[in-house]
Amino acid sequence: MELPPPTGAETRWVTEAAAGSGRLSDATLTRIREMEARYPSARSAVLPALWAVQDELGYLPPWTLEVVAQELKLLPGDVEAVATFYSMYFNHRPGRHVVQVCRNVSCGLRGSDDLLAHLQAELHLDEEGNSPDGAFTIEGTVECLGACGGAPMMQVDRFSYENLTPQSALEVLEKVRVQTDGSGGAR
Amino acid sequence: MNELVLTRHQGAPGLTTLAGYEKVGGYQALRRAIAMGPEAIAAEVKASGLRGRGGAAFPTATKWGFLPKDSFPRYLCVNADESEPGCFKDRVLMEEYPHQLLEGVLISAFALKVNHAFIYIRGEYRSQRELLERAVGEARRAGYVGRNILGSGWDCELLVHGGAGAYICGEETALLDSLEGRRGQPRLKPPFPAVKGLYGQPTVVNNVETLSNLPYIVSEGGAKYAALGTEASPGTRLFCVSGHVERPGTFEVPMGRTTFRDLLEMAGGVWRGRQMKAMQPGGGSMQILGPQHLDLPLDFKAVADAGSSLGAGALVIMDDSTCLVNVAMRLVDFYRHESCGKCVPCREGTYFESELMHRLEAGIASRAELANLADICANMDGRCFCPLGDTATWFVMSAYRMFPEEFESHCGAGSCPVRESVAVAV
Amino acid sequence: MAQNAATELVTVSVDDRTVQVPPGTLVWDACEKAGVFVPVYCAHKKLEPVAVCRMCLVEVEGTPKLQPACATRVAPNMVIRTATEQVRKFRDGNLEFLLINHPLDCPVCDRGGECDLQDFTQRYGPGRTRTSITEKVHFDKAIPLSDKIYLDQERCILCWRCVRYYEEITGEREIVLQERGVHTVVDTFERRPLQSQFQGNLPEICPVGALTHAQYRFRARPWDLRRTASVCSHCSYGCNLFVDAREDKVARYASNDNPDVDDSWLCDRGRYSFPEMNRGGRVATPEARVGGVRQPVSPKEAVERACGGLLRVLSEHGPRSIGLIGSARMTNEEAFALQWLARDVIKTPNLDHRLEPLETLDPGDFELSIAEIEECDQVLVLGDAPEAAAPVLTLRLFKAAHKRGRQVRRLPVDSDPNPLAKQLPSSGRIGLVAHERDLAAARRLQARLTTGARRVQLLSILDQVNDRGCQDLGLLPNWLPGYRRATELGLGTREMLQAAASGKLRALVLIDPSEELEAEPGFREAVAAVELLIVLAPWPGVASAEADVILPGRTLVEKAGTVTNTEGRVQRLRPAVEPKLAFPPDLRSIVELGEGLGGELGVQPLAGPVFRRLAEVLPAYRGTQGGLRANWEVQR
Repeated sequence: MELPPPTGAETRWVTEAAAGSGRLSDATLTRIREMEARYPSARSAVLPALWAVQDELGYLPPWTLEVVAQELKLLPGDVEAVATFYSMYFNHRPGRHVVQVCRNVSCGLRGSDDLLAHLQAELHLDEEGNSPDGAFTIEGTVECLGACGGAPMMQVDRFSYENLTPQSALEVLEKVRVQTDGSGGAR
Repeated sequence: MNELVLTRHQGAPGLTTLAGYEKVGGYQALRRAIAMGPEAIAAEVKASGLRGRGGAAFPTATKWGFLPKDSFPRYLCVNADESEPGCFKDRVLMEEYPHQLLEGVLISAFALKVNHAFIYIRGEYRSQRELLERAVGEARRAGYVGRNILGSGWDCELLVHGGAGAYICGEETALLDSLEGRRGQPRLKPPFPAVKGLYGQPTVVNNVETLSNLPYIVSEGGAKYAALGTEASPGTRLFCVSGHVERPGTFEVPMGRTTFRDLLEMAGGVWRGRQMKAMQPGGGSMQILGPQHLDLPLDFKAVADAGSSLGAGALVIMDDSTCLVNVAMRLVDFYRHESCGKCVPCREGTYFESELMHRLEAGIASRAELANLADICANMDGRCFCPLGDTATWFVMSAYRMFPEEFESHCGAGSCPVRESVAVAV
Repeated sequence: MAQNAATELVTVSVDDRTVQVPPGTLVWDACEKAGVFVPVYCAHKKLEPVAVCRMCLVEVEGTPKLQPACATRVAPNMVIRTATEQVRKFRDGNLEFLLINHPLDCPVCDRGGECDLQDFTQRYGPGRTRTSITEKVHFDKAIPLSDKIYLDQERCILCWRCVRYYEEITGEREIVLQERGVHTVVDTFERRPLQSQFQGNLPEICPVGALTHAQYRFRARPWDLRRTASVCSHCSYGCNLFVDAREDKVARYASNDNPDVDDSWLCDRGRYSFPEMNRGGRVATPEARVGGVRQPVSPKEAVERACGGLLRVLSEHGPRSIGLIGSARMTNEEAFALQWLARDVIKTPNLDHRLEPLETLDPGDFELSIAEIEECDQVLVLGDAPEAAAPVLTLRLFKAAHKRGRQVRRLPVDSDPNPLAKQLPSSGRIGLVAHERDLAAARRLQARLTTGARRVQLLSILDQVNDRGCQDLGLLPNWLPGYRRATELGLGTREMLQAAASGKLRALVLIDPSEELEAEPGFREAVAAVELLIVLAPWPGVASAEADVILPGRTLVEKAGTVTNTEGRVQRLRPAVEPKLAFPPDLRSIVELGEGLGGELGVQPLAGPVFRRLAEVLPAYRGTQGGLRANWEVQR
């Protein structure tokens, strides 16, 4: 099983200060403006712009919606309408790693419920799927992730792990934690 | 060995890179297409009998033909929002053959006189999106994308656009709204996208697999492509086989000449030596079929006559330990989660359906409630704004029809009787 | 021609009734024409179809699926069925869907009794519940979206009308859809308060009790209300409305679609202005100074004492020592009677109804109608004063620009016409909208921009409800009814006040003096100085405190008659509430004053007969009281 390379700047390491600063980094703003220029209509850049913000902050605090609206000459309500529609945008701070456990038909047939239950129990997840150390947010209600050939599977940030067992899934997460966060051990 | 189209270069080294793809003849079809001209390309597509691979199986040439003449700009959108439960072929095509897709997109864009094409890829496919973006970058540097492509005087921009988690964006008009930076909700039709699509301009939306066939069709000829399959179901198709099989995966097979049993055998048969109880031939939206249908050919009409559809080309096998109430509940939950909320029967119906299925699965629903299920589904099917709400009833109703006792035995049972009996047998 | 029109129509059948409709008609409208009611939630006559509520699904022969009547266009010989078992069953089922997550809090819902969810459920819905779901999806309730509007997300059935209203009608996009699926809600960005000046339309287009008026919260049930069609009295635009009265009070104003004027929308300033009509402390009985002391008298005695005083001033100082100041809150009939009283009976030219004098007057200043704004090739708006004076004009301009694709340009009042003349299309119809205070600039622009092929039409916007009618009827010092110059020039309002203070004017008759007039410098001195002050007013004020005779007046919701809006449209007022005490209507009081002085109007002092008399003097008004514009071509 191949582990992801450390994801560096795009790891969801969010500081309270950054999310509450009311200011996006120049890099993010530049990315938003570049996206805007690539579409025939500025509004098309809403989704990419929200991704840029979420890549920086890990989620979309309300003030960022106003920034995006301003950049794209929209009203903040237009952006909020879009941001709340798509399930991958967070309006609250998730764990440093977002884990999506597919439980659709093919994964369900091959044991994804047991896998999720194991992670919930071992990682002491709360009702929203957050691990108490802030390392993981584990979502069990997601679309089919299109890896039915490797069911059951889960996606950790942008990388998918297939043909899992409850034990191997937990091992993956422990390795992710060690590799990117530099400290090990489930609590 | 059958002649392959989509996966014919399987195993060639470095196929995800431009160099690797060019080594197997990549982008020669684009050169040929530009030399042929738009009309000749369209004629080959027509001759190929190619039908859309996203699920609706609409003839591609006909779809292209709906574009009003002399109305510009026009747009081409590639539907890479693959998210039908059980379906993962587009992911494979993008991960393993990204340049084949780009070449197909460029050929189509040239044929349709499009200067701006988009690939709308679902948000969960982030690494695939980045892979495609790298491929587009390579193609641009090689002069296949951008201004004056291959000296033809034709310009084409190609942009990979990431979604953010919404199954409904696979519906072509919802995809267009999402691409325009709106909530991805289906549009009222007419007007159809061919007339008034992206930014109100004529637009063609084609699936990843559909367009990945184009390099072959252009280089080998539409007639040759068509002959790979049967007259009614021309060409080949990349089927996804998953669920209770030994070796789940994708298999490219000729249409019409292959049966479900062949596919099942390619996937190593039912796992753990068990028997097949049921299968879903076309992905999560499609009606259930039984073992008696295993010898049906992969033919649009044959499957339709049996009461289901090849849909997005995803075969899900369920063995004899499967509780179909549980599977139905899972699928209904999925539709509830993915309903866009636009129309009443889908928004409230999937909620109603899902609450009821949870009660049934837990063995606490009464027989009267189960009797209501069919009625609730009847009030959804064919009444919703778009197919999402309609299809949210298809699996559960077909499963109920095929296994009425299994559904009824859950009523008032206090738990899932199928799970209990499997546990006892083991 | 007639035959041509007939062949263009499409014949369709609705529940076996045949109707002919123009091609492209929506099935919904065809059903309406056939007299067949089709229930809808999302569809709205003023909004583009979205077909999301599915309530209007009907059978169309040859189509396997039920079709949304609100979004399907007719085809020749289409056979539509709305009463089949299939349709009936789906309506029942769809209502069940709508109710599973509805809070069913009808007893405390302001919409109770006029709610489409209640009504359709009763008419088409399931008379039983069969859901075993114990927990509904919960949302927020009673959210104050502003000081005017409450939102209840649980009652919302997500018809999107409010969202579409904000997108298509005002363009402000203050309310949007949020979240997805069964969790979808309408809301504002981060619950920020609504800013629009057209919020009051939201509860009206909401088919259920999701959006309600703060002002009407827990006030009444619809069956407690008496509804009267009338006209908004807040500005000169003349929006049609319903006055919903409970007992002797106005409970609310509701819009009453007039496509030519308001297009079914009211502004908040007008809609929520009704509490002023309910204000207490009215002038309830006539009073007169008897032996130096003012005391209640009978209406008859009040008029007699007023006439006695006027006759005395007339005989001692002559007619020019008397001045009459009306108000733009008078009806046309009252205005006509007052100018008759002044010119024909007293024979004084000292007559006005407004503070600001008018130099030149011409019906060409309002040649362009409100609805024609949409037909202009380009619309020029001078400054922001027109929309400030008549807010609903904003929506017409937005419609012209966004629905009809017309170019609407906002120009500074002092725009240089020369570059503009080059920028405008060389031919066609140009609309020019200006506030009356910028009329001179507008006329200059009009003159400069008009060419043989380019027609520039003006619409001037006045401030007060019946300023236009008072001008048409010559309630002015130098103008007779119908824009004829008076030969004998009289004093205007300010001049009369000065003349009164300096003792040149001995008697003043004031009808419903405005707050603005009473606040005018010198007003207090003027009314104190005159020998005789006769005031007719609904509420006591500066003038009535000094009055020798005071006659109780009525408000515009208590009057019968007509008023003329800024584009010259003559519209009817109907009494919606009765004043608490018995006293004659203003019109009768004015006519009785004239008759007491020996004049004879020749008709009964009622709105209808006086209007007919008025139309004899002013042919432009003939036949207009059903809501038509005065025809000034006749007058020329």
